[in-house]
Amino acid sequence: MSESEYAIEVENLNIYYGNNHVIKSINLKIPQKTVFAIMGPSGCGKSTMLRSFNRLLDLNKNVRVNGSVHLFGRDIYTGDMDSVEVRREVGMVFQYPNPFPHLSIYNNIALGLKMNKLVKSDKELDERIEWALKKAGLWEEVKHRLNDYPSGLSGGQRQRLVIARVIAMKPKVIMMDEPTANIDPVGSKKIEDLIFELKKDYTIVLVTHNPAQAARVSDYVAFIYLGELVEAGETGKIFTAPESKLTEKYLTGKLV
Amino acid sequence: MYQFDMRRIKEYSFLGVISLLSFFMIFPLFHIIFTVFVDGIGTLVSTGPVFITGTLDDGGIGPAILGTLILSFFASLIGIPIAFAVGVYAYEYPYSVIGKATTALLEITQEFPTILVGLFVTQILVLPMGTYSAIAGAFALAIILMPYVAVYTKEAMSQIPFSFREAAFSLGVTKVKTVFLIIAPIAKRGILTGLLISVAKVAGETAPLLFTAGGLYQTYPDSLTQPVGAIPLLIYTLVQSPSPADHAMAWGASLVLLLIFLAAFIPLRLSIKEVRM
Repeated sequence: MSESEYAIEVENLNIYYGNNHVIKSINLKIPQKTVFAIMGPSGCGKSTMLRSFNRLLDLNKNVRVNGSVHLFGRDIYTGDMDSVEVRREVGMVFQYPNPFPHLSIYNNIALGLKMNKLVKSDKELDERIEWALKKAGLWEEVKHRLNDYPSGLSGGQRQRLVIARVIAMKPKVIMMDEPTANIDPVGSKKIEDLIFELKKDYTIVLVTHNPAQAARVSDYVAFIYLGELVEAGETGKIFTAPESKLTEKYLTGKLV
Repeated sequence: MYQFDMRRIKEYSFLGVISLLSFFMIFPLFHIIFTVFVDGIGTLVSTGPVFITGTLDDGGIGPAILGTLILSFFASLIGIPIAFAVGVYAYEYPYSVIGKATTALLEITQEFPTILVGLFVTQILVLPMGTYSAIAGAFALAIILMPYVAVYTKEAMSQIPFSFREAAFSLGVTKVKTVFLIIAPIAKRGILTGLLISVAKVAGETAPLLFTAGGLYQTYPDSLTQPVGAIPLLIYTLVQSPSPADHAMAWGASLVLLLIFLAAFIPLRLSIKEVRM
């Protein structure tokens, strides 16, 4: 199967929570090595849609997913890829920074690497962890306390630790579900700078309910409202000349 | 002039009533501990170390202490692994038919009269073997222990935020490894406290041992297929005797039971650290 120029292609995606139709016939193409923001008001289904891109919805037995999601040309819901392989290639950063509290900073990053046998020796493990922490801009702050627990870190530092944990796996896509929603402004700025830095090597899908953030960091943006895709395109174009009245209302704060 | 403030009066009288009721609730606990200490310490001091090491003929309760340890140990050995697995299952599949049935049955079993458990074990082990035995006693205690361990395990794991599960899965960690390497270690304190409470509960049981363990106080037990004693069982037997000397011994045995309970419970409880989020 040939590699697609798109990191993720979504075709006619429908998601149901029990009888609740939360994502309605969405088609979307996410180009490689860009920041693609998905924005919309709370409860519009953007986090649910994001979780369908790495099969995290499989955890919930009440959820049904119809339609197709292709990752670099491979369908992630049919026999092409198993869910563990999908999740290895699509890393995820959550709204609430969630490093594992019972593991040291070092072991938080080592866990995924060991579980998936991605490193061959302890030396390689050390190197990979240092590399990931440097990439996440956290190395200087934690290099002397790698064996400490993450409870001593600030919210922003924890979130960057989670990002390092994801980067260490060398995924192709990094998904972020409102990564700065629970972080102070200084920490948020660092994470936004980091997103900018990371798009050189990775495709980033960013969910946000903050249009200003989407405008600052993304190359492309999709606006979701009540489970439907209203509009998607280049960020500059959507923010200056949206096609839909609904998008315009949302961006000017008139849509609640 | 001091002004009456109805709001303040109401607040203080409510606080007073609550404090009084709380006192009535915890008073028996302190009274029991106090009485057991006062009445038991005399026996312990006058008999000396023989009370702990000697047989009943020497004036000691050694075989009963050993019996309680043997019964609790084997009950844990049989019960904890099974119960832990059941607890994990009920946590992992709370909405499946078997998962729901398991949770409901566990709650019923917790409240089950323990003497009926003793009768059940009599039917399936004591009668076929033709004798009371340590195995039968431990088996009866294991049956009582299991639902507690399972429910505590399930509850402790359910307290852990879903987001840790999502994080583990999103790192490509499998379901089984997520439970054993992520969820259970984070819930460690809750799970171990549950184990402790459960073992302490069965170590103090009397009814299920009456027709299973039987009792053995003149000599030390030397086989798991022979009858064995236990401290609560010995207390029950001694109190029924008309002799004041036996009553004194029962108080001494009660104090030993209390001390074992405190010695095991307090350091363990203090040493299990909470995982800080």
